[in-house]
Amino acid sequence: MNFDATTIIYILEIVVGGLLVGIGVHFVPVGGAPAAMAQATGIGTGTVQLAAGSGLTGLLSAGLMMSVTDNLWPIIATGAVGAMIMIDATMLTGSWIYAYAVGAPFASAKVNYDPITGFSQPPYVAPGTVGQGIPTICYVSGTIGAAMGGVGGALIYYPLVMINNNPSLSAVFAIGIFLVNAVLASWNIQGTIEGFHDPKFKKWPAAFKACLVSTFILALVAVIITGGA
Amino acid sequence: MDALSMGLVAAMGALATVAGASEDIDSDIGSQSNPNSQVQLAAQVGNPHRIYNKAIAGEPPSNALWCTTAAIVAYMLIEAFQMPALFSIALGASVAALFDGVMSMSAYFGRNASQKRFNQWVYLDIVRYTTPSIMAHVWITSFCIVTITYIQVYVLTPHHPFPIPVIALIWGLTVGAIGSSVGDIHYGGEREFQWRLFGQGLSTMLSGQIVRKAEAGLRNSIDNAWFCAKFGGPATGMGFGLTVFLDNWRTTVFDPVSQALLAIGTGVFFVIVMNLYNFYLERSARRKYGPYPGYKGDIAA
Amino acid sequence: MTVGGGAAGAPAAFDVKKIRIYGLAGSVLGIYLAWILNTVTGTDIFSFIGAVAALFGVVMGANAVRRVCGYGIGTGVPSIGMLSLGMGVVAVAFGLSVADQFGMGALSVIVTLVYAMIFGYVVGVIANKVIKFNIPVMEEGLTDLAAGGAMAIMGWSFAISGSLAFADIVNDVINTGYIAIIFICGGLAILHPFNANLGPDEKQDRTLVNGVMVGGLSTIATGICAFLTLTPAAALLQLVVGFVIWYYFFMWYYRLVKRDASAVVGTGLLPPSAL
Repeated sequence: MNFDATTIIYILEIVVGGLLVGIGVHFVPVGGAPAAMAQATGIGTGTVQLAAGSGLTGLLSAGLMMSVTDNLWPIIATGAVGAMIMIDATMLTGSWIYAYAVGAPFASAKVNYDPITGFSQPPYVAPGTVGQGIPTICYVSGTIGAAMGGVGGALIYYPLVMINNNPSLSAVFAIGIFLVNAVLASWNIQGTIEGFHDPKFKKWPAAFKACLVSTFILALVAVIITGGA
Repeated sequence: MDALSMGLVAAMGALATVAGASEDIDSDIGSQSNPNSQVQLAAQVGNPHRIYNKAIAGEPPSNALWCTTAAIVAYMLIEAFQMPALFSIALGASVAALFDGVMSMSAYFGRNASQKRFNQWVYLDIVRYTTPSIMAHVWITSFCIVTITYIQVYVLTPHHPFPIPVIALIWGLTVGAIGSSVGDIHYGGEREFQWRLFGQGLSTMLSGQIVRKAEAGLRNSIDNAWFCAKFGGPATGMGFGLTVFLDNWRTTVFDPVSQALLAIGTGVFFVIVMNLYNFYLERSARRKYGPYPGYKGDIAA
Repeated sequence: MTVGGGAAGAPAAFDVKKIRIYGLAGSVLGIYLAWILNTVTGTDIFSFIGAVAALFGVVMGANAVRRVCGYGIGTGVPSIGMLSLGMGVVAVAFGLSVADQFGMGALSVIVTLVYAMIFGYVVGVIANKVIKFNIPVMEEGLTDLAAGGAMAIMGWSFAISGSLAFADIVNDVINTGYIAIIFICGGLAILHPFNANLGPDEKQDRTLVNGVMVGGLSTIATGICAFLTLTPAAALLQLVVGFVIWYYFFMWYYRLVKRDASAVVGTGLLPPSAL
């Protein structure tokens, strides 16, 4: 193997992919365990799980696309769309439960007015909770986050396949890099976040640095690996 | 696009719907994932209970394990012994169900044994009659998901380049993520706490005060399946079914090579429609339910 | 995710240094022993030793999860197990590939281990310095975790392929997709023990016995996989060994549960204090 310009571009692609995953996680409105009791705004599950679920669905779509074409752009776009469809379907059906089973209006406790719709939030926050459901701002933020995760997954997967021509190896390797970044980002979030309007979102530079270092170390070795016999 | 591929995609969507529903009911019976925190807390605030406590590492990794186990067994039987696909997948799902039984039991034993100081007993009859019910639902989930991966890899064109177990791993993670985000709310928000005020989430003051008694006698976890199968399960199924169906539909109707732009555009269209639908839901919920009466602030509703 | 970990500084019957030494030595020597026996005798019957070696890595990883999560990391136990296996899978692919490119296939275990430990340490430093966790055992714990995860993946990969050559592992483990079951089953073997025993009365021996039990399940799974890649006799042997490990440790675990639980009853109402 030799370090030429293409290799450096591949490394950069992997690093950018990892960074997108790490930042994208911050966009996904995750309420953690409290959200499952309608105690907090967002999706009622853990950050890593949701990021992995959506990003890897995107990876599946991107892998399918990559088997028929070598063009980077459709692969990235299809990865993003796959991830967005997954997270939107999840949030939509989750909203059904909040609206029709728990019977609660959607509200965020982090802002007074929804920046997109302009709806007032505090009057709709149930006493003793920190919001419930998935307001439009969280929904849009989640869609953006999923798109970033999907693009990130595809961006990690693409150079790996170009190097080793082995979809299985690349897929597993991409899952590994994806999980490392998602976990680091979720540690930065410390449990719950509502989306880009949440004050916690300002912590993203720490995740950026963390993911930059870790992905770089991973990318350096990723380009060395061959596809085997 | 041909009729066969469309039929296959429809079948995948149907299988995914069933898988999602059974996945959610399985986690509700076992009190897995997020509502588990309240079951765990109950004993600590002085409410020992007779509810199953299946804490297996969050739903996504555990479902990934069942689906991958079923996938490797099926793959091995198909490739090494040339067994028929349906038989292999059924056998794989059975092995996955056994794995699940072992893990569920160990989690129930371990979590309850670690709450010795709160006087939380280990009840063997719960293990005997609840575990088989969990295993049955896991059987359905893994059977459906491995069938989906089988269709994706061997039948649907273009064949998916990933091997069967890797796709099963990813679908398992996804179905677990959807199950814990959608169906769990119905269990945690509605079923676990039935004495809170209706129309709001759980007030933090009530944390750990789960319902422990049933119409007659003590509540057991099978009752939770009876409740959640009415809405939480089907909604989870819808979520996973939509994911699988819409994602595959757009690359089947439009050729991914020559009509890549259309395939991507269709996906973006679905995304926008779902965003608007959620906006409609939010607006109608706000209009119908109105603000909470106890609000004292100065921001107008 | 769950309230009430509280195992930080909990009494540990086994010293962490001892577990680390046994874990590293056991897994590395075990994999090499299996490799030498397979090469010398020219069969693949000894592949199951690789699966047994992986159990040492699992115990080390499970103990590290116990130490780090005892401090409470705010995102639940599962995330750290996923991290461990994410690091492990990258390390294994790197180790095997690099050793192969330099023509020294046998060194792959060492290369994998060294890379995993370095990377684990770096992630630990990042977690403490950049993300500001300030958990004193973070660097140490993540080094152990990465090493344990990598050794578990290595051992079970060997158990499926019966060889340390990169080409064989790619053909038998990765192209077949069997890496997925090693990934997730190994991950659960590392994270499930502490997660399943979480609570104020968690005991180290019960947790670690649970880890070996799940490792036994993984060995059953790799035994099933091996029917495609090894001779039927070797695969069957591995299946049986896995079953024996699982059964022995499950019974042991059940005995420990009976020892530790407030009461193990056949049936009954709630404890008298709670009615």
